[in-house]
Amino acid sequence: MRPGTGLLLAPALAVFALFAVAFVLFAEVSVATFVPGSTSLAGPATLANYRHVLASPLVHDATVTTVGLAGVMTALTGLLGYPLTYVLARTPSATVRRGILFGLVVTFLSGGVTRAYAWLVLLGNRGLVNQLLGAVGVPPLQLVHNKTGVVIGVVHYLLPFFVLTLLGTLKNIPVTLEDVARNLGAPGWRVFLHVTLPLSLPGLITTSSLTFVGALSAFLFPELLGGGRTHMAASIIYERIVTNYNVPEAAAMASLFLGLTLAVLTVFGVLQQRLARRYRLSPPTRP
Amino acid sequence: MTAGLVMAFVLLPVGFIALYAFNNGAYVTLPPKAPTLHWFVNFFGNKRFVAALGSSLAIAALVTPAAVLVALPTAVALVRHEFPGKAMVNAMLLAPLVVPGVITGIAFLSLSSLVGMGGGFWPLTLALLCYGVPFAVRALVANLHGLDPTLDEVASNLGASRFRAFLWVTLPQLRPGLLAGGIFVFVEAIDNFSIAVFLTDSRTTTLPVEAYSYIRDFDDPTVAAMAALLMALSVVLVTVVDTVVGLDRFLELR
Repeated sequence: MRPGTGLLLAPALAVFALFAVAFVLFAEVSVATFVPGSTSLAGPATLANYRHVLASPLVHDATVTTVGLAGVMTALTGLLGYPLTYVLARTPSATVRRGILFGLVVTFLSGGVTRAYAWLVLLGNRGLVNQLLGAVGVPPLQLVHNKTGVVIGVVHYLLPFFVLTLLGTLKNIPVTLEDVARNLGAPGWRVFLHVTLPLSLPGLITTSSLTFVGALSAFLFPELLGGGRTHMAASIIYERIVTNYNVPEAAAMASLFLGLTLAVLTVFGVLQQRLARRYRLSPPTRP
Repeated sequence: MTAGLVMAFVLLPVGFIALYAFNNGAYVTLPPKAPTLHWFVNFFGNKRFVAALGSSLAIAALVTPAAVLVALPTAVALVRHEFPGKAMVNAMLLAPLVVPGVITGIAFLSLSSLVGMGGGFWPLTLALLCYGVPFAVRALVANLHGLDPTLDEVASNLGASRFRAFLWVTLPQLRPGLLAGGIFVFVEAIDNFSIAVFLTDSRTTTLPVEAYSYIRDFDDPTVAAMAALLMALSVVLVTVVDTVVGLDRFLELR
């Protein structure tokens, strides 16, 4: 270890130490006892909070909703994002590429609240979508204040991230492989199915894994677009603090949620490693 | 063609909000009436919004340079130095990104409650700093990986100290990473909701949290005016990046 490495790492380690301390405290809070009506916490360390959370039907319900919706969101994001990424990676036109990138990055940087709010207005009963439908005689659809709105909003939110993350993977698949398949007579869809898709699988898994975690953690969108009826994990944790100020129980819920997130990442990670071995492509020169 | 439809979907809200912010009246009507700046006036006239805007900008102004300054030596150590436990340090540093915002928010709330604070400006700033550093580190590491270390060696051979070599040879090449890292941290600091919502108090709120309260109580396009401003900012940032570094390069380095 070179002298000076420690010095270079010091600031980041200090920041991380702060983060770690916050989490140790958080773990401690989760085993404390809530004293109703006050903000202080009592008692010897107990697993009562965890027991209570694991037994709660509300939590079961929310877990199923969260994982289920996150799955749907990730799948939709993938279905919409993959073709876009492919075009982005393969288009010879610099104008098209810059245009798409510009649009994606502007959307990405304009923030969550902006986009959640935009969908709230667009999808509402008097929103643009229903007005357009009304103009052609279709009765208004209930597109927001329910799961549909949340899914639309979150998919839209995750899409730029998905595309920009997958871009590296698709760019690393040599075009020549696809060209060869085409030259040998394979129609477009076969080239995709047998060449592009398998080679992109490891990167696709990683991208999907991160997207899935993003969907699991969705907080603002279910709150704003879910009409109070869509109970995702983050929302119920928030409610536990804001309505009851029961921080210990919220902390217990949150650490179980964290466990779930890590489990998901591990599953995806294992899957990705298996596939990487099967569809081996020489490692990209850029990490 | 599919790509075109998907892009239309992506840009729909952005385009819509830009127009809605100027909407005459609280509801969208077809055909649209003449545009108005009323909602922008409303936004800047709203004391709570202006205070939130001030807080958000202040926090971002503190967090962004701090995060980049922390990330720079870290990235150098991760890319140019060898040390035991490197993989672990790497994973550790990316942890705040993987942990759902809600959890980070509660963790910092617990931390600041312990020192008797509860929410507030400084806990919020520190939490967003912890959250922002990984973004900056990622961008800088990606950038550094693509650089040629022999250039530094050449400078050293020509007599420059290690520090001077870094300052005059490496750093200028890091412009894309610094820009990318800085922008992501800045945007996250302003726009973050999941962490911020736990750490605001009666004196300090951020723009997203304030907007959220407003949306729940009122049904007019004032928030759209705010959103339009944020989007304009976004367009400015992206244009700056494209001019200084080129959007292609900027994103290849993610």
